[in-house]
Amino acid sequence: MKIIVCLKQVPAKDAPLRLAAGSDGRATAIREDVSFEMNEPDAYALEAALRLKEACLARQESGEVAVLTVGPARAAQMLREALAKGADRALHIETPSGAELDSHAIAVAMAAGLQSENFDLILTGLQSDDAGYAQTGLLLAENLGLPHATIIMKIEPHAGGLRVKRELEGGRFQWLELPRPALLTIQSGIDKLRYATLLGIKQAKNKPLARLELSALGVSPGSNRLAVARLAMPEKTKATEMLAGTPAEMAAALAQKLRQLHLVP
Amino acid sequence: MISPHPELPAEVVIVGAGPAGLACALRLAQIIDTHNAAHPEAPISKDGICVLEKGREPGAHLLSGAVMDPGALRRLAPEFATDLAALDAVPVHDDAAWFLSRRRAWRLPITPPPLRNHGNYIISLQKLGAWLAQKVEAAGITIFSGVAGAELLWTESGRIAGVRTDDKGRDRDGQPKTGFEPGSDITAPVTVLAEGVRGSLTEQLRKRLRLEGKIPQTFALGIKEIWELPPGRFPAGRVYHTLGWPLGNALYGGGWIYGLPENRISLGLVTGLESSDPRLDPHALFQIFKTHPWVRQLLQDGEMIRFGAKALPNGGWPALMPLAGEGWLLLGDSAGFLNGQRLKGIHLAIESGCLAAESVFAALRDRSPARLGEYATRARQGAIRRELWPARNFHRAFEHGMALGLARAGLQWIMGGRDPFGFAPARPGYQRMRPLAEMRHPAPALTPDGRLTFDKMADVYHSGTRHEEDQPAHLLISDTQICATRCAREFGNPCRFFCPAQVYEMAEQSDGSRQIHLNPSNCVHCKTCDILDPYQIITWAPPEGGGGPDYQGC
Repeated sequence: MKIIVCLKQVPAKDAPLRLAAGSDGRATAIREDVSFEMNEPDAYALEAALRLKEACLARQESGEVAVLTVGPARAAQMLREALAKGADRALHIETPSGAELDSHAIAVAMAAGLQSENFDLILTGLQSDDAGYAQTGLLLAENLGLPHATIIMKIEPHAGGLRVKRELEGGRFQWLELPRPALLTIQSGIDKLRYATLLGIKQAKNKPLARLELSALGVSPGSNRLAVARLAMPEKTKATEMLAGTPAEMAAALAQKLRQLHLVP
Repeated sequence: MISPHPELPAEVVIVGAGPAGLACALRLAQIIDTHNAAHPEAPISKDGICVLEKGREPGAHLLSGAVMDPGALRRLAPEFATDLAALDAVPVHDDAAWFLSRRRAWRLPITPPPLRNHGNYIISLQKLGAWLAQKVEAAGITIFSGVAGAELLWTESGRIAGVRTDDKGRDRDGQPKTGFEPGSDITAPVTVLAEGVRGSLTEQLRKRLRLEGKIPQTFALGIKEIWELPPGRFPAGRVYHTLGWPLGNALYGGGWIYGLPENRISLGLVTGLESSDPRLDPHALFQIFKTHPWVRQLLQDGEMIRFGAKALPNGGWPALMPLAGEGWLLLGDSAGFLNGQRLKGIHLAIESGCLAAESVFAALRDRSPARLGEYATRARQGAIRRELWPARNFHRAFEHGMALGLARAGLQWIMGGRDPFGFAPARPGYQRMRPLAEMRHPAPALTPDGRLTFDKMADVYHSGTRHEEDQPAHLLISDTQICATRCAREFGNPCRFFCPAQVYEMAEQSDGSRQIHLNPSNCVHCKTCDILDPYQIITWAPPEGGGGPDYQGC
């Protein structure tokens, strides 16, 4: 089975978010002095792909995992991390630094970059930790004309195709069958993430990492269909009032407050 | 029994991707490339050279002021001068020293010669680390990022045999979780320890081989914040150092303010870890420093954007340990190469890395580990000696306080480093701590306002520190009963105060007794606890690789 995993490099979860006022009065997020990491749901997509590949190899079938990203030069670091964990090769569609692409432009670039690839399966994370649109996977499937399923928690081979478990609302699940090739967006926690081994890190240096320029694929920030109107820090509107007194007095005061706010009858 | 630790044979393992370790790796690659070009018939492979870095990426754990003397870097990688933006570097154009009293600030009429910084650069040490690491990787040397050196490997005959890396995926109780990966044994004839201040493997080596300098090493703790100020407030390239308040006469140290590009400043305070007061709280002193009218005015309407804390070795020349032995070398801050008089160590770290590389190369080429010893000889001569020898008595000049010390340091300066008075026997800082009962004055304290002054937790947030929560504590206390009884009684648990990241707390138990409680995931890897705990029962061991601060731009 040949599997493509789409990855995105996002600001580290604890990276302090700061905004800079743009010349046109709109704010932009400051990307300098921020450290970046592999988007968490994408890391789970990679893990799922590596496990599928290992299952293939255990059945004496061929298996390959290729990772793909659309991002600036720094994203190569994340691809090397994926190679160290066990991906076989990487494809980097490099964007000019500072260029912000929306899900549509990224999906179009990915689809173009995958033109010459044969694959059985594409995995993506279900959404990115930074923008959180949850669109790139679906748009990529549409661009490639593939069947897709979202929020996947389990993948099983099934009669030449796949049987997958989708997460629904309220603790419910759905089992689906899909033909191959297909695209799945993966939920965080599908499997336990692995660590890169030292041997893996060392071997990653000799694995192929192909580069493609974004412009060579006919995509640019002009391909965006989404314009950010305004970016602002959430305003603090929460006011905390401390109640004083003995526990009994505080409880009485709290009960009165709750009634005033019509939160209890 | 078969060892669960996979073996990874190597030629040279360098522990720590800081300026010393990376300079060593880069210089080694340069020498090997030159050799291979001249001797294609007998090439030497770079494949067996690797660098271990406990931070998530090179630079993540590097913290300094930082003003760098560019001499050593210019020799190693002259192209840095055309890539200043990558290092966030600006040339120093203006420097001054100030004396602070409680309310006022006086500019010293002349800047003391060791603090003159013309020709030096203000840099981000994190960025220098990241930049050097790129060069090292481009030269074909593997850097294992997010991999800590957990312990030294020894042969049966007691020689160093390499480094065991950290286990990944143990839970709070030390049990393997799913996905557990045992550490690897990197076996190598040459182990280069460039771990920075108070390295954990360096400590294993020091204790096992009983390595000592002429006097015990002494340390200080640097606390730093980066602030963004209204435009035009403090020009990039300006360097201010301060003496006096809030440290007083008895505390060694001083403050700094450096102008960075884009209306940012680096602001910090260095406090000696040798106080008699067990309530010494360098973080609180730094917060108090910012309330000085002269500093407060500077920071008005500014915003704190980064925080970090890191210890530094300031014992200088007499505190240097043996620098090399069978199969090992000590570099940079691990060796104690820091000039306390000039407040500089980055260039010495780089210099030591380059010297080490030359001896390591000779040992590899000749298959003669004995040649490592040349590094020790050469590091005690040449550029490092020229710098550290004249300042050899500087730190000890302050043994009777700052006022006398400054006069005495001035006299030493005139006399080429000689000190006419002689010193009391040197003691490590933790032995100078006096019992709590002897303290006559309340400890300096303030209530943080969240704008100018911050509590430890707010600052830790701005250090970007992150650890896997479900892992064993990496601060090993050999006897926690001492904390609850003897230390509580004698010193009042100084770890609660000296730790800048609130890792240590005394938690009340249901029976009313108090037990030590650790918050290891706050740890910013400054090493103060390992250095200053009065019973020397705390051992700082590396947490799971990749954890720790994230000093982007620091």
